[in-house]
Amino acid sequence: MAIPEVDPITLSVVRGVLETTQREMTLALEQTARSSVFNLAHDYSTALFNHTPEMILQGQDIPIHLGSLIPAMKAVDSFFEGDIHEGDLILHNDPDYAGSHIIDTCMYYPVFYQGELVFWTVCKGHLTDIGGPVPAGYNPDAKEIYAEGLRIPPIKIWDRGTPRNDILNMLLTNMRARRDQEGDFNALIGACQVGARNLIALLDKYGKQTVQDCIEVLLDMANRHMSKLIAEVPDGTYSGTAILEDAGHGFGDFEITATVLIEGENCHITIDSPPQIPYFINSYEGNSYSGVYLGLMMFAQLPPPYNEGLYRNVTVDMGPKGTLCNAKSPAPHMNCTTTPMETLTDAVRLAFEKAAPDKVSASWGHANGCNIAGWDTRHDEEYVTMVLASIISGAGATATQDGWHACGPECCFGALTSGDIEMLEHSYPIIIHEYGLMEDSGGAGKHRGGSGTRWQVEPLDSPMTLITFGEGRRIPAMGAAGAKSEMIDKKVGRLELTRDGRTQVITDNVIETIHPGERAANMNPGGGGFGPAFERDPQRVVDDVRNGLVSIEGARRDYGVVISDAQTLQIDAEATSKLRASA
Amino acid sequence: MRTQYRLGIDAGGTFTDFVLAERNGNVRLFKVLSTPSDPTRAIRNGLDLITEETGIAAGEIVANSDLCINGTTVGLNALITHRGAKTALIATRGHEDSIEIRLGHKEDGYRYDPEYPPATMLAPRYLRRGVRERVISNGTVHTPLNEDDVRAACRHFLNEGVESVAISFVWSVLHPAHELRAAEIVREMMPDVLLTVGSQLYPQVREYTRTSTAVVNAYLGPILRRYVEAVDAHFAALGARNPVRYFQSNGGLAKGSVVSDQSVYAINSGPASAPQAALYIGEPWDEKNIITIDMGGTSFDITLTRDGKANINKNIDFLRYRIGIPMIQVETLGAGGGSIGWIDEMGLLQMGPQSAGSEPGPACYGQGGEEPTTTDANITLGYLSDEGLVGGRLPLDRDKARQAIRDKLADPLGISVEKAAHGMFTIVNNNMVNGIRRVSVERGYDPRDFVLMGAGGATGAHITALAREIGIRKVLVSKLASGLCAYGQIISDVKYNYMAPAPTRLEGAEAAKKLDTLFGELEARGIADLEADEFTRDRISIRRSLDMRYTGQVHECTVEIEAGSIDEAGLDAIRSAFHARHRELYTYDEPHSAVEVVNIESTIQGHVENPKRMHLAAGKGADTALKGRRPMVFDASGATTDTPVYDGGKLGAGDRVSGPAVIEEVTTTLVIEPGWTADLHESGVYVITSTTAA
Repeated sequence: MAIPEVDPITLSVVRGVLETTQREMTLALEQTARSSVFNLAHDYSTALFNHTPEMILQGQDIPIHLGSLIPAMKAVDSFFEGDIHEGDLILHNDPDYAGSHIIDTCMYYPVFYQGELVFWTVCKGHLTDIGGPVPAGYNPDAKEIYAEGLRIPPIKIWDRGTPRNDILNMLLTNMRARRDQEGDFNALIGACQVGARNLIALLDKYGKQTVQDCIEVLLDMANRHMSKLIAEVPDGTYSGTAILEDAGHGFGDFEITATVLIEGENCHITIDSPPQIPYFINSYEGNSYSGVYLGLMMFAQLPPPYNEGLYRNVTVDMGPKGTLCNAKSPAPHMNCTTTPMETLTDAVRLAFEKAAPDKVSASWGHANGCNIAGWDTRHDEEYVTMVLASIISGAGATATQDGWHACGPECCFGALTSGDIEMLEHSYPIIIHEYGLMEDSGGAGKHRGGSGTRWQVEPLDSPMTLITFGEGRRIPAMGAAGAKSEMIDKKVGRLELTRDGRTQVITDNVIETIHPGERAANMNPGGGGFGPAFERDPQRVVDDVRNGLVSIEGARRDYGVVISDAQTLQIDAEATSKLRASA
Repeated sequence: MRTQYRLGIDAGGTFTDFVLAERNGNVRLFKVLSTPSDPTRAIRNGLDLITEETGIAAGEIVANSDLCINGTTVGLNALITHRGAKTALIATRGHEDSIEIRLGHKEDGYRYDPEYPPATMLAPRYLRRGVRERVISNGTVHTPLNEDDVRAACRHFLNEGVESVAISFVWSVLHPAHELRAAEIVREMMPDVLLTVGSQLYPQVREYTRTSTAVVNAYLGPILRRYVEAVDAHFAALGARNPVRYFQSNGGLAKGSVVSDQSVYAINSGPASAPQAALYIGEPWDEKNIITIDMGGTSFDITLTRDGKANINKNIDFLRYRIGIPMIQVETLGAGGGSIGWIDEMGLLQMGPQSAGSEPGPACYGQGGEEPTTTDANITLGYLSDEGLVGGRLPLDRDKARQAIRDKLADPLGISVEKAAHGMFTIVNNNMVNGIRRVSVERGYDPRDFVLMGAGGATGAHITALAREIGIRKVLVSKLASGLCAYGQIISDVKYNYMAPAPTRLEGAEAAKKLDTLFGELEARGIADLEADEFTRDRISIRRSLDMRYTGQVHECTVEIEAGSIDEAGLDAIRSAFHARHRELYTYDEPHSAVEVVNIESTIQGHVENPKRMHLAAGKGADTALKGRRPMVFDASGATTDTPVYDGGKLGAGDRVSGPAVIEEVTTTLVIEPGWTADLHESGVYVITSTTAA
């Protein structure tokens, strides 16, 4: 394809306007949404597409949303076979059309200019409910997708500017906490409108041809940038295998393998995963793209802006239909955006670590969280939500620094926010007794992984349903460049239920009822370390001990640093050298 | 005896500006280098300079000033360099880490960056102690305060040599008793530390915001206290008749003791005076909708006033720390005269945020700088004179500017030097336009409904281009533009914010009564504080705002209302104002949804009388001020136009200059693009209007 000649100055201006547009869409969405998953937790994403439709700007939101938006937009566009008109607005969630999981609802707004389709403004957000037997959608007992909620293929909720209230009513009637879902629909629609308003102003100013030419150049630049990074890696085949732990389905642990073939500036990634299972951890192809692209970005480490040009030289074979990472209907899938996606990302990350050693950062802690639901006696209404504060894990350490504490999970890469605890207690009838960092949870390494978090909750005055999802309760986040930990049990997550003075540790995904006076503590894993732990500067280990991030025992076992006095944190230099030499 | 002067001292990053206003309307600006390591030294140096240039002793000026006003960057610098006090936090047990978890978020723009570091902790984890206590969301006590835990924390802090302590408990805003009792214990056991209590400093819902605000305040407090004591002592020794007033980020003045206790209010005060100055300068035309831009060497600050009120920010990340208290919204970009032009990894021309600073400075300074900057572009385009800046005290080398642009940008991009320079100019302007969107479009305002006001020495070259780009048709630039912020401070009022949590659904007589009572209480406190500061009631004014949302939303929009008693009919008016504001911001409203209030605030102002306005003599026609012509570039192609240059010092009231033209003032250069006309007003303000059809 010939790349058009454009004025370099106009090009920079167009780039700036696209980024500003995405930012303003994001702000509008966040400020107006109802569900805490949107407005406190930032579990939504926005993107712009051109008419072809190719993604011309990816927001800096949730990585798990954005890879899949690329095939999803194409699936939606081809479904309507050109039957798209000014004033239409399309809604979709179904994974057969490259949706991620059905609780992530997408809106696609075609932007017409002088009667012609020029752009799409697109938003995706995690609703708090999508109908089905279990509040919040995560149903560990589901054997089929039908037991997880409402599947919505591409449908028009506006037809040439007229809202289809009958369809909207049908959708909302099937969802819990209708008021929240309706408010969130409005927020998504509002954001699409804000985006369209800006893009039309851009077209007015520079004219359609110039804008489209600039966008073509921006896509090409991104492509060249990624190609150059790939070309710097020696040609060859690199393979990474990550283990997906059995979090209660009984089929045992699984292996997911990514094979990365580098040839010049091209990269081909092949995924091998086991056959799909009747448990909610199957990933349809669209969602798996997000996992693969995130693994790629952990290698590329590129600054924004992001667009689909990045992936032009990257081809992916997700493996045969009917496998865990390329599931087919009716496989249940609700957990897929975290499990198995994070293990898939790890496999790709590991393959790239072999291709570019000492560059690629360690894995982040996997999501291992909970949803809550029940009756709010304060307002006499039902409540349901995913608790984002319950999935905040530690970030992986990098070649240059320790991992961030409380920044994960891997699939979100720091884009989430967990919400203010007073706002959560205001919105839901709960008491959050604890939200803090966990000692010894960061993966050991020359650079330590970030600490994971512990989130403890009690219902205010009536029983609460608690549904857990995810994994990372037995296998810790993967270290990089030779990092590994000794005290594994401290690095992983779990659920602790305290009833009648007894504490039960749960590592499977479960549905539990919690009564007032009982407490549930959800713990999230730390991030992986980078480099051999025995090479960590002993003084930094002491600092971590002083700050309660590493215990005295952890200093000795994970880092080979012997602290002889628990008060002064004096190091026994001789014992430390001896212990470190013995490794 | 009538006082003769008012003295304003605004410390900036590079310069400290002094403005001396005389009762007869004369205003003089003085500049000295800032001295961040010993901030009071710049003040002494400046007073010496004034004495040197005017022959009046510092003591005479100070003793004959009705007010001496200081805007300081002491707090800001301590936060930037992480040189605050050794700070500890007492929190609800289980919630000691909220300021380190930071809501689990990593800032946008660094998503995959392996080198972006976590924020430095102002109270490190070993100095954060949890105590057993808990209030829940309905304001009742779930677990009583364990006083022994507080004492144990104090013993630990004493051992560690802590200088400042913050106390912040969950839901303390609904039941402050636990925090207040803990504060008594801390005062008893640690009488020498500075103490910050979350529910007193920032009585609003949101634990993370409140705790973080309290910790920032604790971290800066001892530094500000030492500074204020030194400045107060110095002015007292010079015979000041009134205590020094300090400028705050809320756009108002405060006494020294307030700044010591509530140091977080003084954090970004400098640029916060721009809206006040803008309103004052715009007054002869009754302009109340003004966007003010202040371009200096390294940064570009934008503020906005609408209907005479400045945009306020609450609950924002400032230098990576969450701060709740209301601050004038100042959007700061790395887009100054020293901003460097470069070609990014994708091959795109970019401007800033890196800056050549003052050393080595732009290539045209001839101090060894090799990077092409905004100033280099402006001299290449002919906008700036070879004679240089500041009346020739800083000569500029045009050839060095051209060479830097050719080597670094024009040749790699395959375009002419003039075209590259115009491209740099366009891109830096475009970055500024995007910044202006943040204070306008993102707040639901159309920037075309505003006038644009220039401040800072470097703004004049860009201002008509920016106005054109945004679609603004009227621009105001004062002859005092380069010291506008210092000037804004001397015409500001004393201002304090009083806040309360008020979670209320906005319906029924009960709700009206609750709001009425709460506002009444806040305002009684505010009036008493100002009366104690010798403001009579007729000089005290009140403004009210409510943070509101649709029930179920989590973010609020702030809606301003009139002072006065609130009844049920009043609630209707408040609700309508909220719907309108929501529509303005987000394209839609939900007239049938329930509306709730979260927090309320009253701003209490004590009015300070303004000094007299500047008055220029009538001009003799612009021709008498023509000093020469030079070729300039106004076109993206790089083509030049022979353009007249005027000496601003020789222009008088009523003189008119039509673009293309340049007006050179001592501290700034005004570029009047083709299609614009500048009229000099008797108040010393250039009124620049677009002459093209709308």
